[in-house]
Amino acid sequence: MNKPLTFMMGKFAAVLPADRRYCRNHMWCLQSDGVLRFGFTTYAVRLMQDVYFLDWEVNPGDALALNHKVGHIETSKAMSDLFAPIAGTLVRLNAELLNDPSAINVDNHGQGWLFEMTAVSDAETLSVQEYHDFLAAGWEKTQNMLKGHM
Amino acid sequence: MSRHRITVVLSQAQGKHPAKRALEESIVAALLMEPGLEVSVIPHLYDLGPDHTGRRFLGSVRGDMVLLSWLFPRAAFWVLDRDGIKGQWGETQLKPPADDDEEETGEPQPAKGIGSLDVPDRTIYCLDLRDFNQHQPYVDEIRRVAEEGKVRAEAKQRERAPAPIVQLGLNLRNGDTPVADALGSPNGAPGSPNGAPGFTADQLLQAPGRRWYPVIDYSRCTNCMECIDFCLFGVYGVDEHERLNVENQDNCKKGCPACSRVCPEQAIMFPDYKTPAIAGAPIGAIGNLKIDLTKLFGGAEKDALSQAVEERDRELVADGRQAVGTAVGLPKRQEHKQEKPKDDLDNLIDALDALEL
Repeated sequence: MNKPLTFMMGKFAAVLPADRRYCRNHMWCLQSDGVLRFGFTTYAVRLMQDVYFLDWEVNPGDALALNHKVGHIETSKAMSDLFAPIAGTLVRLNAELLNDPSAINVDNHGQGWLFEMTAVSDAETLSVQEYHDFLAAGWEKTQNMLKGHM
Repeated sequence: MSRHRITVVLSQAQGKHPAKRALEESIVAALLMEPGLEVSVIPHLYDLGPDHTGRRFLGSVRGDMVLLSWLFPRAAFWVLDRDGIKGQWGETQLKPPADDDEEETGEPQPAKGIGSLDVPDRTIYCLDLRDFNQHQPYVDEIRRVAEEGKVRAEAKQRERAPAPIVQLGLNLRNGDTPVADALGSPNGAPGSPNGAPGFTADQLLQAPGRRWYPVIDYSRCTNCMECIDFCLFGVYGVDEHERLNVENQDNCKKGCPACSRVCPEQAIMFPDYKTPAIAGAPIGAIGNLKIDLTKLFGGAEKDALSQAVEERDRELVADGRQAVGTAVGLPKRQEHKQEKPKDDLDNLIDALDALEL
């Protein structure tokens, strides 16, 4: 039942634990005590590699729309704006990461969590199988994007 | 020793990125061993306001200059120009290791812009600190540039002060590093022979606040004024020569690069913006840059114009004004064409298309 799925990124195996849900912006979503905790999937971390900087532009208590810009990340290979994975209210940011974001690389499913939100519904999220299919469907396009640096 | 002197200015990264600081320090340490160089360190160039000592120092530099910064060379050069620190563009041979499958850009295109005014006869070289993570390529290039400048100067038989004087604006870590020891007190250094007043390290390195404003590449700007029409915050204006300029840079909305997307010549740069094309990357040369994963992580995919309109509306609303959408100040390059009925030429071209040659 709780068997993780694996998505092959070329030779790299991105393991997707089955104990949580997933978002289209490549974050996982884990519910506990009424809040939803989010973090980067292994797929996202593999694309970014070593995280150098993490910057948040929102504060706990902020109401966020889906895809509201929440911050920015810079890594050894990439940079990106970050967006709210679902609509809801921001509860907490992982303060540890601001001092040292390396937990994102070391333990992306645990200590490297990003933020917590409350939401009316998590209907936007995907099951592990759905996320796996989502990755498979986008993989070729993603590879082209990486090659083209677009 | 060479009588030609060259000023090397290192503009630090924003923030306190340890890897960046380490590179900066190792470059400065290596350059201090080089004869004939005057080395100074200033904060991030783009952030320096008119009253900042670092900027006044830059303004006092005469003769050839090498600027090392965490900006694209084109952006750094035109930030200097904007600050009245002008010179001829120095072509650097420092090139980042190219990606294997990256095609080289062709010959540099002849500048079609209106150019800068009152450019003195000296050369400014801008090197990008993101190109290499070792100091050696920079030191080698600065040696080459110094040699090039010497040859040029000898040709002009310019009179120079004899002694190379090292002026350091940065007390590396409490002044107890070998570099600082080798220097003695930088504050005690006499004013440089070219008449620059002495600048203390503290003054030079005083942390400036972050700034945000457009920088115009006048080698590209054609004075078409589309940015004036588009920006509704009064950032742009024209000077006494009827040339476009950035008149009220503090009106500019932090993070908003909309006018840059609208510019038909890609002459408007925001040097700190994350997208290389807007930050002043050379056209076609995107090798060795970080990948922008924004689209993958949930950012919307849009064309430049609608993105610009959206960014502008967001800033208008944040200012308590009405969003205007596409109604105001958009270039109407294609509009008239679509209104007219097809003429003979259009029909001919359509016919050719239909042949699918």
